[in-house]
Amino acid sequence: MSVRLLLAEDTRDLNRALTTVLEHEGYEVCPVFDGEEALDRIREQGFDGIILDIMMPRKDGLQVLRELRASGVFTPVLLLTAKAEVDDRVVGLDSGADDYLTKPFAMKELLARVRSMTRRREDYTVERLSFADVSLNADTFELSAANTVRLSVKEFELMQTFVKNADHLLSGEFLLGNVWHAEPDADIDTLTLYVSYLRGKLKWVGSNVTVSSVDGGYRLVTDPDSTDRVLA
Amino acid sequence: MPHETPESTTASIYGTHLPQMEAVLDRLVQCVESLRARMEAEMGINPVEHMLARIKSEDSMRDKLRRKGLPQTTEAALTQLYDAIGIRIVCAFLNDVYAIRDHLADDPEFDIVEERDYIRHAKPNGYRSYHLIVRSQQGYYAEVQLRTISMDTWAALEHHLQYKKPHKGNQRLIVQELKRCADELASTDVSMQTLRDAILGGDDS
Repeated sequence: MSVRLLLAEDTRDLNRALTTVLEHEGYEVCPVFDGEEALDRIREQGFDGIILDIMMPRKDGLQVLRELRASGVFTPVLLLTAKAEVDDRVVGLDSGADDYLTKPFAMKELLARVRSMTRRREDYTVERLSFADVSLNADTFELSAANTVRLSVKEFELMQTFVKNADHLLSGEFLLGNVWHAEPDADIDTLTLYVSYLRGKLKWVGSNVTVSSVDGGYRLVTDPDSTDRVLA
Repeated sequence: MPHETPESTTASIYGTHLPQMEAVLDRLVQCVESLRARMEAEMGINPVEHMLARIKSEDSMRDKLRRKGLPQTTEAALTQLYDAIGIRIVCAFLNDVYAIRDHLADDPEFDIVEERDYIRHAKPNGYRSYHLIVRSQQGYYAEVQLRTISMDTWAALEHHLQYKKPHKGNQRLIVQELKRCADELASTDVSMQTLRDAILGGDDS
């Protein structure tokens, strides 16, 4: 399925030129000419990426961006700004834009930024992760081996981090930063408890994988106690 | 323990065995009670949330014999089917299920003749429970079901919905969602067990 983009640009010639180039690259483009129209289209249908000009009639790009983020739409947004408007770029990024491009720009650069913006999305939705006999479904948070259970959000994120970094010893600090971000209530006790939850759940789904703690760090290992079973 | 009394007017499907069967049932309850008393004394833990002990009613037994194409005889009721005597033990925590299972296995009065761990290997619809068929020294069979409160809740609620055909929506989605609920409850069971281990400071898993 092709990648769907919304392009909001009020300058007709530029809008037409961008649409033509993007379509030529295989994107499905929905061109609109003001902020209100952009919001209407986005509320009607889903897009994989949004390109917003800042200076637009009826509602400017920053206003559109703020309303989108406030209503829980987290589709990647690329802002188009005029060269002089440094404040706009700062405000834009602070309001939830993923990237910006200053006018005038080379078509080549726009295409590269659109690719980067839409690629990131694909990377984030790896559907199925696995390590040894255990697999983790990113859509359903299902942890499965011989048996299945549903993980909570934090358990899932922790397990996902372990699976994606299976080759590395992960420090408690890294895990707290990566999974709990800057949540003020989360500390090393939180992490220890969640590691225990995962160990319990791995055991109860019948996996021989467990979380080992060595030298102040954590990593996934196949449980030596179950080696016999694995070899048998 | 309440259990259904057979109609006194017609001959019982259990012949003259009812008193001995009730004795076996009581003996099973005793076995569980002794572990409960020991764990309460030693650890301050009551592993049994509640318990249901029953002799299968005359009607259900006759129905089941008919369904299975077995003769309506005392012999068939007591030796071809294993659930004339039945006990369901509902535990607070996961590990309690296994503690009771081990205690039963150690009881010289009973031999385990069949054992199914549907907790570690849930049925495809999400059903979880630990099933045992035991035989008393006198040769009476009994079915033992062990499960946690969550598993019991799921089984009870699923039973409510079992015979209802959905007005709309598809059957497959409903089955899938019931399984998801079972898996979420199972996850909570493990979390609660982990928390108990953390609070008691020991790992009895």
